[in-house]
Amino acid sequence: MPGHVSLEEVRKIAQLAKLSFSEEELTRFFQDISDIIAHFEKLNELDLEDVSPTSHISWSQPPMNPDEPVDWQGSDLVLKHAPCAAGRYFIVPKVVEKEEKLS
Amino acid sequence: MEGVYVTIGLEVHCQLLTQAKMFCRCSTDYIGKTPNTLVCPVCMGLPGALPVLNRKALELAIKTALALRCEILPEVVFHRKNYFYPDLPKGYQISQYDFPIGVRGVLEFALEGERRKVRIRRVHVEEDAGKLVHEGLGVERNVSGVDFNRAGIPLVEIVTEPDLHSPEEAKECLIMLRSIVRYLGVSDGNMEEGSLRCDANVSVSLSPDTQGAKVEIKNMNSFRSVFRALSYEVERQAALLREGKFPVQETRHWDEVRQVTVPSRGKEEAEDYRYFPDPDLLPFRIPQDMLEEIKATIPELPLQKKERFMREYELAEPEAHILVQDKDLAEFFEACVREFPAPRTVCNFVLTEVLKNLNAFNMTIRESKVTPGMLAELLRMVERKEIGISLAKGIFEEMFATGMSAREVMAKKGISFLTSERDLEKIVRQVIEENPQSVADYLGGKDKALHFLIGQVMKVTKGQANPEVVKNLLLRELTSGE
Ligand SMILES: [Zn+2]
Repeated sequence: MPGHVSLEEVRKIAQLAKLSFSEEELTRFFQDISDIIAHFEKLNELDLEDVSPTSHISWSQPPMNPDEPVDWQGSDLVLKHAPCAAGRYFIVPKVVEKEEKLS
Repeated sequence: MEGVYVTIGLEVHCQLLTQAKMFCRCSTDYIGKTPNTLVCPVCMGLPGALPVLNRKALELAIKTALALRCEILPEVVFHRKNYFYPDLPKGYQISQYDFPIGVRGVLEFALEGERRKVRIRRVHVEEDAGKLVHEGLGVERNVSGVDFNRAGIPLVEIVTEPDLHSPEEAKECLIMLRSIVRYLGVSDGNMEEGSLRCDANVSVSLSPDTQGAKVEIKNMNSFRSVFRALSYEVERQAALLREGKFPVQETRHWDEVRQVTVPSRGKEEAEDYRYFPDPDLLPFRIPQDMLEEIKATIPELPLQKKERFMREYELAEPEAHILVQDKDLAEFFEACVREFPAPRTVCNFVLTEVLKNLNAFNMTIRESKVTPGMLAELLRMVERKEIGISLAKGIFEEMFATGMSAREVMAKKGISFLTSERDLEKIVRQVIEENPQSVADYLGGKDKALHFLIGQVMKVTKGQANPEVVKNLLLRELTSGE
């Protein structure tokens, strides 16, 4: 629904983003997000009947990479700065699902 | 099964055969490599890193969509698919959403020689995730390791409509799909190594008018497990329905060890990926000339090739079917027929001896040292009755193992290429006629004369005859002439 967000939706978005908030914070975010959406609602006052939706204004061809591998030498440094690493692996809390998530 | 109505749709991921990853220039040659060596800020999702599309990944995805007779959408748009998982460094996967590369395609395949069709819903391109490792980390047990070498490798995802009506159909459809991506050179389609992965939706109903619950099956790692998992699932759902129960709409995993499907653990929240266009990658139009160029690279596909082989070479369907599954094998066959125009003979030899030896050495025809010309030469020798077919099989085995030509094998093994007795007999008689003195000497008790005669035969055959065989023939001719 345009121009409207429910407290429940804010709660769900927080959950999807793996963020936890107090009720107080949730109410504040609910207010902020509602205000932001209300602000964007102003755009709906424009008559866009004949304008097709566009996600970007440029349709020119972007630069593309050639299919030629190039080595990068910084992986040791990244592993060194990782919160937790063992050998050549980044270490994370045990992933419960045994199967690999695919797409 | 009588009175059971099965509906199956497939979702297939293929790793595209690029040298570099999809949005950075790290190598894709990750199998067996030290973890986290083929990585960079882009594929590890380091702050500020920007993706740049690999042109080849786009071309291969378009090629796949074209070969599956899809409509190519004019705009390329990348979306972020947001979810949290440790193998996904950015917290989102760059994928495609409402503007896939291609839509509304068709895949044709054959089941027991009969043409079948499955509609293709969409073909899109996306990046692969990293790999999780649970064992052998040398640290405490309640952790997992992450390797990003695979992260960012381009994948093409092919989604069919639920047009398949049995596990057999699903398996054949998948085999054809693998065959096509291999023909196109877009993927090596290796299920065991994970470069081709297949999920399936199965629903079963006891009436043709109602739709069953859609159950998604994952974790099938071979064509055989696809077939077995689907067969198991059809049985399971049909049994529930017969008891008056209804299958739950859910995701299940194929348990290869127990040969059953089990409900997936993990959160069963409705998927909510909050797709939105990736602001780092601008949408663009596919240039017409690029599309034309890609179209021109699409080769004759397996089904067309099979029908041409049946028409042109008068092969039976089952033989043609096996021949064309592997493009290299089909090309080997054709190249051989060009030099030895007896298609059915060539086909028989290829499907028996060639395949037998390839399997024994676990090799592909491309790796084999036997060229089509070498096989043609061998078959020609059989045709001329220089050698028998069983000898030819043995010679072929040796050719296969050593890379020597048929004649080289025979010379090495001391087998005469004139072991056709008739050819050799002719020469032996000719030598006897031309050397009456030596014949008389031999018959008069001079054994040495025999050696002279053998030498003469060897001279005529340029040393290619087997001296033992020549000796025996000479003895036979000389004694019969008495
Ligand atoms: Zn990279």
